[in-house]
Amino acid sequence: MEFTLLGAVAIAVGLMYATLWFEGGRTNAADCTRDVWDALITGAMAGLVVGRLVAMGRGGVNPVTNPGDILIVRAGVDTIAATVTALVGFGFMVRRDLWWMADSAAPAAVAGLAGWHAGCLVRDACLGTPSDLPFAVAQTGSNITRHPVEIYAALLLLGVAVLLIAWKRSRPAAGVVASVAALAIAVVRMATEPMRPVLGPSLITWYGAAAVLAAAVLAWRVRSVRCAGGT
Amino acid sequence: MPSGFARHARPAPYTRHVPRRLKSLVLAAVMVVGACTGATVDPAGIDPLLPTDAAAVRSLLADSEQPVVLNVWASWCTPCRSEAPLLRQAHQQFGDRVRFVGIDVRDSQDGARSFIAEFGLDGYEHFFDRPGAVPAALGGFGVPLTFFYAPGGSLVRLHSGVIDERTLALQIDELIRGGG
Repeated sequence: MEFTLLGAVAIAVGLMYATLWFEGGRTNAADCTRDVWDALITGAMAGLVVGRLVAMGRGGVNPVTNPGDILIVRAGVDTIAATVTALVGFGFMVRRDLWWMADSAAPAAVAGLAGWHAGCLVRDACLGTPSDLPFAVAQTGSNITRHPVEIYAALLLLGVAVLLIAWKRSRPAAGVVASVAALAIAVVRMATEPMRPVLGPSLITWYGAAAVLAAAVLAWRVRSVRCAGGT
Repeated sequence: MPSGFARHARPAPYTRHVPRRLKSLVLAAVMVVGACTGATVDPAGIDPLLPTDAAAVRSLLADSEQPVVLNVWASWCTPCRSEAPLLRQAHQQFGDRVRFVGIDVRDSQDGARSFIAEFGLDGYEHFFDRPGAVPAALGGFGVPLTFFYAPGGSLVRLHSGVIDERTLALQIDELIRGGG
């Protein structure tokens, strides 16, 4: 792994931890911070490893015969496999108290994702498709200005994280904050994906499917709580 | 009805069995993916690579009417293995508008042909540079390297180390649009 990628990871993890630290005793119970942190990191690591393995498999590299390649994360991580594994890993870790733990983790996870996108500044990988907007940026030595698409994603996700924290003060029903966070992440990704240069087919339909799924979970959580007559 | 904080207050730790669970998950994933990706390599259909030198590569770049993505690789280079599928995909997508060239350095012919066969890189041209003099002459150091040249051979960008999908796609887009 190259140092610029490590820098981006450090920003993501730092923002995630800072958010959990800020929420501890305010919008999260102080004694659950450590458990949420452990579950988030475990989910992220499991997602990274499985996403890398799937990317290698799809590229025709056998991870059993080439175990060293697993460490070359920069060459690709399968986004869908990584996301599903991270969610399953996190859910498995907190399965005894899934919805409340998911709500506790949601703003930190969104902030961590914002940090990952902001890490483009150290990776020199912020730019997307060409644009004439006044805030578009050109590469050094180039005359083509482009959307700073990763900065868009970082700002949007950071805004979502702040709103979620503020909303948690009103004690919404269990699972609603996490569902809204998942929906917001999928929508931000859908909105920014057309501005990203990609090889092969775009993943936008997968993000659309994720948004629909998150909206369905949100509706289910709201309805469950209403039917139970609680908050 | 307990408050949200009270419902969060739960002393049981979730982390007790993390290492065992994580190991099981990783092991299962490795076994599944490993079983699905048996590499069958048959370099017999790959011709030996033509030797080249810095002057010949400079001439190739100067004569090219298309932009050129020049990748320096070697079969013994682990990061090169990881970026090879990306280069194959980029060639499949942009090969009609961008010329792809591979330079195999400090390698053997058998290793080079096996590498090309394993990753299906026979769709574009590769040259053999046993002494590894070409990258240094072009201004690069180490392996892998990816040079991006405008038509006529002027260097637009040099990426040292493993290239990622986003960077490769962005730089090819710059070449196609003539951003350099």
